[in-house]
Amino acid sequence: MNDDFMAVEDRDAEVTPSTSRPGVWREVWRDTMGRVGILTLLGILLTIFLGPVLFPFDGQSFGASAASILQAPTGAHWMGTNELGQDVFRQFLLGGRISLYVGVSATVIAMVLGAGLGMVSGYYAGWRDTVLMRITDFFLVLPTLPLIIVLAALFGQSILITSLVIGLTSWPQTARIIRSQVLSLRERPLVMRVRSLGAGDWRIMSKHILPNVTPLIFANLVLVLSGSILAQAALAFLGLGDPVQVSWGTMLHNAFNSGAMSSGAWWYTLTPGVGIVVMVLAFSLIGHALDRVMNPLRRGVR
Amino acid sequence: MSVLRISDLTIDYRLGQGSVRAVDHVSLEIEAGEAVGIVGESGCGKTTLGLSVPLLLPANASVSDGHIVLNGESLIGRSEEEMNHLRWKSVAFVFQGAMNALNPVHRIDKQILEAIQTHEPETSKDDAYARVLELIELVGISPSRAKSYPHEFSGGMRQRAMIAMSLACRPSLLIADEPTTALDVISQAQILALLGELRSQENLSLVMISHDLSAIKKVCDRIVVMYAGVIVESGPTDTVLRRKNGVVTAAHPYTRALMGAHPDLSGERILAPGLAGNPPDLSKPITGCRFAARCPEVMEICRTQTPPTVTITPGHSVTCHLSVRSAS
Amino acid sequence: MNARYFVRKLSTLVVTLYLTVSFNFLLFHVLPGSPVQLLARSGHYDAAAKASLTKLFGLNHGLLTQYFIYLKNMVQGDLGFSYTYRKPVTTVLGAAVGNTVLLVGTATVITVFIGIWLGVKAASRANSLTDTTITVTSLTLWSMPDFFTGMILIFVTGVWTHVLPISGIETPGLTVGWLGHLLDVAKHLILPALTLMLVNAAEFSLITRNSMVDVMVDDYMVTARAKGVAKKVIVWHHALRNALLPIVTATALYVGMVLGGAIQVETVFSWPGMGLLIYNSVEQRDYPVLEGCFLLFAIAVIATNFISDILYQVLDARVRNN
Repeated sequence: MNDDFMAVEDRDAEVTPSTSRPGVWREVWRDTMGRVGILTLLGILLTIFLGPVLFPFDGQSFGASAASILQAPTGAHWMGTNELGQDVFRQFLLGGRISLYVGVSATVIAMVLGAGLGMVSGYYAGWRDTVLMRITDFFLVLPTLPLIIVLAALFGQSILITSLVIGLTSWPQTARIIRSQVLSLRERPLVMRVRSLGAGDWRIMSKHILPNVTPLIFANLVLVLSGSILAQAALAFLGLGDPVQVSWGTMLHNAFNSGAMSSGAWWYTLTPGVGIVVMVLAFSLIGHALDRVMNPLRRGVR
Repeated sequence: MSVLRISDLTIDYRLGQGSVRAVDHVSLEIEAGEAVGIVGESGCGKTTLGLSVPLLLPANASVSDGHIVLNGESLIGRSEEEMNHLRWKSVAFVFQGAMNALNPVHRIDKQILEAIQTHEPETSKDDAYARVLELIELVGISPSRAKSYPHEFSGGMRQRAMIAMSLACRPSLLIADEPTTALDVISQAQILALLGELRSQENLSLVMISHDLSAIKKVCDRIVVMYAGVIVESGPTDTVLRRKNGVVTAAHPYTRALMGAHPDLSGERILAPGLAGNPPDLSKPITGCRFAARCPEVMEICRTQTPPTVTITPGHSVTCHLSVRSAS
Repeated sequence: MNARYFVRKLSTLVVTLYLTVSFNFLLFHVLPGSPVQLLARSGHYDAAAKASLTKLFGLNHGLLTQYFIYLKNMVQGDLGFSYTYRKPVTTVLGAAVGNTVLLVGTATVITVFIGIWLGVKAASRANSLTDTTITVTSLTLWSMPDFFTGMILIFVTGVWTHVLPISGIETPGLTVGWLGHLLDVAKHLILPALTLMLVNAAEFSLITRNSMVDVMVDDYMVTARAKGVAKKVIVWHHALRNALLPIVTATALYVGMVLGGAIQVETVFSWPGMGLLIYNSVEQRDYPVLEGCFLLFAIAVIATNFISDILYQVLDARVRNN
């Protein structure tokens, strides 16, 4: 704020931007929301990976009689049974994995594409930037879920294709954000100095630009991850999920279509739904805390 | 009766776990029609002092001690609503840089109009707008530019617009924080000339906060030198900032160092001496003189005992152990 | 308003529309296993329908010719033929568009007002309990998939209690005058609109809060306070006016999201709009309808982007004169 003449010596030093302080994660842990998010995430990961091992119930076999369909929770079935008499609890434990797998795979695809394109675009600027940004802007305009639905309907429903489809629709936003950051980074005196010394493009990008962009990538990654999990859930609910591997979204699809709602089978609906919400919320909290750590002014010191 | 009387003002900032004492028992008095300059390096507390008068301190600052009396009315402890009545009418503030000090999405004339209408709601819109145009002309901006947006003005013009806005409610006191920093030299000269003119025309009392000694010398009758939250020297500008045959006659070593950093344009060519070191950490208690660590004339007593305030000549006082000797 | 800016944005609009139509062609007609061709060869159509389909899309011509025929059809407003409804796609869409506009429009109006109001409240009491409550609630709501929110509402209001209708746009077999009919539709509108509003108001409030907090540390805010302006005026007239700019930009992204939400909500509540149409056409593999719906959705987002760009220019003088 005070552009004092006495601060001149500061201007040229390699001022570490707030986005690349080491120990960002430590600060996220200190932030209440961040801590709750991290703990919740750990809880979920434990549940979906250790749960099936600890509770090797049978989730596949169908109910013996008509009475065992859509049963409320009992001692035998902790979360009741579904329309086929199968154990909901077991399905719940297993279903989380699919949501996570698809979410993570899609995010990896989106981040690699988005960050990669964003860095190239922002670093080289010029015509490469213009072309890439025009392409990005076009894809930004296409509505996400409708596009995902169309692609899934056209190309298939396996986990692989779902991940690809979601990843391919999520990269434009990341590309834009990374590009802005890289554009401003390349104007920094340090980068200009290193360039004039003859350092190669790759070296500059990997050694000087990438470390400063990484925290921003992480913040965006959490956001994309949340979105991917929600997208996968929506796809599965609409009947476009993998029919073989039951995810939480698929469970909700079955619940909806089997009339579980009108029969009041709340256990069937609530458990997978709450699972999705808690998983996404964990990531959202972490993302929100990251944002607060990287933008301290956002905390609103009046 | 003085326009502004600050006595023993103490302001602390809450930072994280600890607090920093930005202003430590500062007293200052300004008579009607006077122009006082407050000078010091960044972090010395001069801006905090300035902001405290209209009670514009940020939320983590608190007044721990002292009084501020403006036109006979005590200000500390007043509510925000009460202060809103007094602000701009009794004391107006000209912010530095005016780059972001003016709202970028409102037109200039509307912003000045807002000041008038907030405090004089009974004035008709036409009368108020006429006054807006008057003010714009007063500071040397063509009335045809009144409907412009801040980004359409140059830095100098923006500063003038800010000054015009500050005069909208005919305040008795105008506080200008670094009005010429971030301006080019020509604009600086114009703004200082403008301030001088307005002073005599409108009989304004002026407080000018700056680190630029030459700016203060041009406009102000009195100068107050601050260091690390306290006033170290104050007196008539001519006395404090005088150079006799190339020799600086200021009483405090810090003032002398400041003068040294502003070499005389007509004097001999010297290597402007800087001052090594940094101001003390104000989050810790301070023993002795705050300037002791950097003072070229430091004595043993300076490190242990707080220096007293000594009057050298009427109106010129200094807070330093060195002057105790010479005064007695 | 700057004419040059307007013309520039308008030409971008036209180009984007053209690209979208071409992209549609690529997806549905070119890629291997092109569904339209598959349909034509499949057993869903009888010989006469297949012949007209082939003629309509020029399937017996080369790809480039098909492309031009496609463009010609588009300009003439011909989007193909739905085999599940046995009607032109445009007819099928026409019935559904109005319902979706009603749903999304109502939800959007409420969303924007409530979201911004909550965001301003949260920002002006930054870090207080109010702020934290609003922020955490918003984050939680944002983490809920639209369809799940809908399902919960259905349980609460339709199954455990029977307060509101949970499906359709009107009560079947209801014989009342037009006012009664209007009220009936309004009653059916409540739950789906509420579902859409809950998730999206959360997003708006988060964006508004962050934008406001960013703005509130700007210098001109202190100037306003120094001028003695009342706090309410400062928050709404000075801060929000500047904070609106990122909010308007966010609106463009919002439209894409709310359309995705509409698909889920219409499915859950059997609201006969374009969302339900997409769901059904996916189930039935009725690709012409799917294609038409997607095109309309894309056009809606593009148009909204255009409007928000123009609005941005109106709001921010700096963009205007650039």
